[in-house]
Amino acid sequence: MAEETIYRLQQVVRAYGTDFRLHIHDLYIGKGESVGIVGHNGSGKSTLLRILAFLDRVDEGEIIFSGSSDREITMLLQHPYLFKRTVFENVAFGLKVRQKREMVKDRVRDSLALMGLRPAQFMHRRWLELSGGEAQRVALAARLVINPEVLILDEPTANVDQHSAALIKNAILQYRKKYNTTLVMTSHDIIWLNSVSDRVMRMHNGRIIGRGTDNLLHGPWEDEGEGLWRRVLPDGQYIHAVHPPHSDAFGVLNSSNIMLSTGRPDHISAQNVLGGQLLSMSSEHSGDRVRVEVHAGGLLFSCSVTHHAADTLKLLPGKDVWILFKASSIVWY
Amino acid sequence: MDYIAQGFMQAVKLLVSGDPETYSAVFTTVKVSSLSIAASLALGIPVGFFLGYCRFTGERQLRAVFDTLLALPTVVVGLFIYALISRRGPLGRYGLLFTIPGIAVAQTVLVLPIVISLTATAIENIDERFRNTVSTLGARGWQLVTASLVESRHAMLAAVVTAYGRAISEVGISMMIGGNIKWHTRTITTAIALETGKGQFSMGIALGIILLLLAFLVNALLIFLRRRI
Repeated sequence: MAEETIYRLQQVVRAYGTDFRLHIHDLYIGKGESVGIVGHNGSGKSTLLRILAFLDRVDEGEIIFSGSSDREITMLLQHPYLFKRTVFENVAFGLKVRQKREMVKDRVRDSLALMGLRPAQFMHRRWLELSGGEAQRVALAARLVINPEVLILDEPTANVDQHSAALIKNAILQYRKKYNTTLVMTSHDIIWLNSVSDRVMRMHNGRIIGRGTDNLLHGPWEDEGEGLWRRVLPDGQYIHAVHPPHSDAFGVLNSSNIMLSTGRPDHISAQNVLGGQLLSMSSEHSGDRVRVEVHAGGLLFSCSVTHHAADTLKLLPGKDVWILFKASSIVWY
Repeated sequence: MDYIAQGFMQAVKLLVSGDPETYSAVFTTVKVSSLSIAASLALGIPVGFFLGYCRFTGERQLRAVFDTLLALPTVVVGLFIYALISRRGPLGRYGLLFTIPGIAVAQTVLVLPIVISLTATAIENIDERFRNTVSTLGARGWQLVTASLVESRHAMLAAVVTAYGRAISEVGISMMIGGNIKWHTRTITTAIALETGKGQFSMGIALGIILLLLAFLVNALLIFLRRRI
């Protein structure tokens, strides 16, 4: 990794009873890097974030944090808590405990303004005089004002109105551009997460299983003989796979291993050819590729193609397309 | 039934005319209970905070002991402290018996469990996200303690009100330790007991009304504070 590392996690294990076990084999996060995490509820995203924020201990393994102090890490909880004080006191709290006494008022004002809260109107409001979205924005302003080295955000837009969500997204994007803060965040909004993250990881059952743009393929798989298995999709099409470990295994299909065709291809070696419809297209954060979502066989496939390919194929939402991938390109977990 | 109406009239008369004996009892009451509240807060808040904030073995048993002590009878405290501070007692040389500090010491013992128990409950009832929030915002050590106390200040005020109410209304301790000495250790409650014994019901009722007024004033002040903070 070219840049300096701020977090290194190796063989980190955290278990809650017998039901949940987080197991991170190896994770590096670079200084100033922005990392997104996607995954279903209960996949271990929040636990990982709490461990990174040193709010939770680990049972096994090693975490090396090479920032200046754990005080420089701040986290916005999924359901943030505001102190029973005024908005000003809430936002200024982090500055006060750090003994930063200069220009407190100005800093609080700037931070509130960044979150779309007019300082004159909100500074002296009490904690109970705010809507859910306003409270979330005040909570985020309280984190941004301390200008942390690491900012951890757990679903910052999950429980707020659309207006607040848009303001929060925009503020994080602006903040990231301005200060090169290391960001680690989870969100259900994958398109936004892509736009603010250098990379997106996907978590499942307490493990990191590749990138967020990868496709997860669940069983049940039926044995067809000769090492080939298949899964019947709701519309009667099949996915063929090679040697799943068991019939309920889930596999990961990298989005760039999927090819697209606008006509039904014949005589090709790939085992999987699925007809579907193109749902949406967006430019990837890295800039040189286009993310294409295809609805095929009742599943949503995320594919990554070059701009050139998108132009040549004249891809547009609503268009009928075929997706192709090798049976052997599915990686098992 | 006349004496009840007379009692009301007399209460107004005593207050308006500035009756020195009545005011002496009022001041003694306020002085004694203020001293005991101050002492019980100074001792009880740290203990209550510790009980509410920290998890350790035996914590629940300790909480149960303090909860039981909430129902401590005043005469038992009176008896116990009397034994300690009387001339023959281990603390006899301090000459606390029949003095205002003596009553205050015994009242402190009486209200301490209230302060400890209600503080522990107040701290325990703070939203569990609070701890994560203060620590991720960078608070450490004492900053966590003060932030928790500030956060639970409304519940803490309730503890003060309850403790104050218990202190100004008790009679057993004031009677046994103070001795109901006129101009000296006579409180409103001991004065009521005396007047009732003498058959002076209207005087007793008048003093009772004054005591209620005092309780109301303390509460009003705290309600006012609660709104402001």
